[in-house]
Amino acid sequence: MKTYKQPNTVGRFGEFGGMYVSETLMPLLLNLDKSYKKIQKDKKFKKELNDLFKNYVGRPSPLHYAKNLSKYINGPKVYFKRDELNHTGAHKINNCLGQILLAKKMGKTRIIAETGAGQHGVATATVCALFGLPCYIYMGSKDIERQKPNVFRMKLLGATIIPVESGSKSLKDAMNEALRDWIKNVRDTFYIIGSTAGPHPYPKMVRDFQSVIGREAREQILKVEKKLPDYLIACVGGGSNAMGLFYPFLNDKNVKIIGVEAAGRGAKTEETAATMTSGSPGILHGSYSYVLQDTDGQIKEAHSISAGLDYPGVGPEHSYLKDIKRVKYFGITDKEALEAFQTCSKLEGIIPALEPSHALAYLIKAFKNKHKNKVVILNMCGRGDKDLFTAAKAIGFDADE
Amino acid sequence: MNNLDSLPKKKILSLFMTCGFPTLNHSKKIFNEMLSHQPDIIEFGLPFSDPMADGPIIQEANKLALRSKLSTQLSLNLIKDLSKSKNNTSFVIMCYLNTVRKFGLNKFIKNIKGIVDGIIIVDLPFEEESEIKKALSKNNIHLIKLISPMTDKKRAQKLLKGSKGFIYYISATGITGSNKLDYSEINKNVQLIKKKSSVPVLVGFGIKSKKDVINISKKTKADGVIIGTALIQKYFDLKMDFNKYLKYLKNFITEVKI
Repeated sequence: MKTYKQPNTVGRFGEFGGMYVSETLMPLLLNLDKSYKKIQKDKKFKKELNDLFKNYVGRPSPLHYAKNLSKYINGPKVYFKRDELNHTGAHKINNCLGQILLAKKMGKTRIIAETGAGQHGVATATVCALFGLPCYIYMGSKDIERQKPNVFRMKLLGATIIPVESGSKSLKDAMNEALRDWIKNVRDTFYIIGSTAGPHPYPKMVRDFQSVIGREAREQILKVEKKLPDYLIACVGGGSNAMGLFYPFLNDKNVKIIGVEAAGRGAKTEETAATMTSGSPGILHGSYSYVLQDTDGQIKEAHSISAGLDYPGVGPEHSYLKDIKRVKYFGITDKEALEAFQTCSKLEGIIPALEPSHALAYLIKAFKNKHKNKVVILNMCGRGDKDLFTAAKAIGFDADE
Repeated sequence: MNNLDSLPKKKILSLFMTCGFPTLNHSKKIFNEMLSHQPDIIEFGLPFSDPMADGPIIQEANKLALRSKLSTQLSLNLIKDLSKSKNNTSFVIMCYLNTVRKFGLNKFIKNIKGIVDGIIIVDLPFEEESEIKKALSKNNIHLIKLISPMTDKKRAQKLLKGSKGFIYYISATGITGSNKLDYSEINKNVQLIKKKSSVPVLVGFGIKSKKDVINISKKTKADGVIIGTALIQKYFDLKMDFNKYLKYLKNFITEVKI
């Protein structure tokens, strides 16, 4: 296998990716790309980021051997890469710190972001508080309703939440509105995109900042198991936690890699978010990748119980990795994810977010009584606190009693 | 023949309207009203679910059109029907790339050949345009370029090379329907564009009234204006009373034809 080297200089992962935006945004993206290239060579920047990773986020995040779950599955040895222990409770902070340092270097004075589950919004609000920059978070009104604890968190951190009422009132529409804000305020504003989606250079930049997950996991597993893992598993919405874990392993051809999408009520139903299982290549938010669309190219609304996976697109790099068959993608339904959510809580004493619960569900389903003597790393990319109300309602538990 | 090649020298008026808004039947009436004024250009917006370069008003218009089950084919049929009373008016399509891609470029061109004079693909930067531009120019359809205040000189030079039809200058650094119009900045940028290109420069985004149109004509070297959001906005202001809206359109278009 050739050494993996994606994207090319114009942000193409194979045929996917690129910059499909209006001329009001093009100059900004080109400028961002230039600035990002420059800081990649900047030792001071790297040192600053690593210092924040260590002392502010709490990195490296541990690699936990999930003994009870492994026993329950009766298959491989399962390790959790515990990015849910990060400050703010998810992997999102890794990327936000990288981008806000870049924003500072570029002299930007106002930060905007989109959020679905609220994890990226919280992470952005957090770094804005830390660096003293005003923060505006676009969030679908449907998501505001189902992620109340995170809405309160963002407000506490000093962010202004802008409810988005257009379209499906969730992540995709929040991203449309954030892009509009950016076009309107191009001169002073930095847009922190939370996933490996959107136009170049975002998919590359977010992947690079998140790949600290995979680099650590690689070092940690080599230490305890004296070998590389046989499998990597992560959930995929836009795909940032998954790219973060996968990227440093892409050249290791013996490491099998699995991405788990949210199939909602089923990948073959209209209520799904399984972009790569049910979608086709198209253009959304400035990038060519798999999207859920109708025969006219109109983007469909996604559905998932997990707000963080409720996105009708997926990062262009995942689209590429699917097509070259380096990563296999599967769908997990709301119901299956909810079961895994409970199983993991009971067995490991870890309440996972609904997003990684999809990865857990796939692991339990596909590895049960199989693949003994193998080693799996699953990215536990977020904790479940934010999902307690949603989960309680879905399970039928009256939280007010 | 391409009508865009014989645009008048000054005070060009281009009117934008979303196809199928608020429904296909109403839309026909709106376009017929527009055509009866014989504007220099009519821009037909093809509805898209995620029009990220447009403001909330046009997004809402897109949503209404799509809700009435308007397909790309129906939009193109509508344009074809209207072309019977086209006369000297140039027909321009404004759309997003995913619409063309999904419909199929060749099939798309087949449907608009000899009917449509130009096309603006909002989210197609010039870096990505070569294949599409070639196919269009073979069929005598101009690919219209957008240029923004953020476009620097070097980029403008590359972008404007070989431009045809007209240049769409985005007046406010903003999305369609913005408020501020800075005439001196517009004039400065329009003059820079005119140094590099001989095709007319039209100013769009944020033109709302007769006063704006006159100001652009008097205070800048621009060759004309594009009005879109202001045309659509009124439908919502009038609480979606279609008959009132049609009357308003008649008056408004008469007014802005300076």
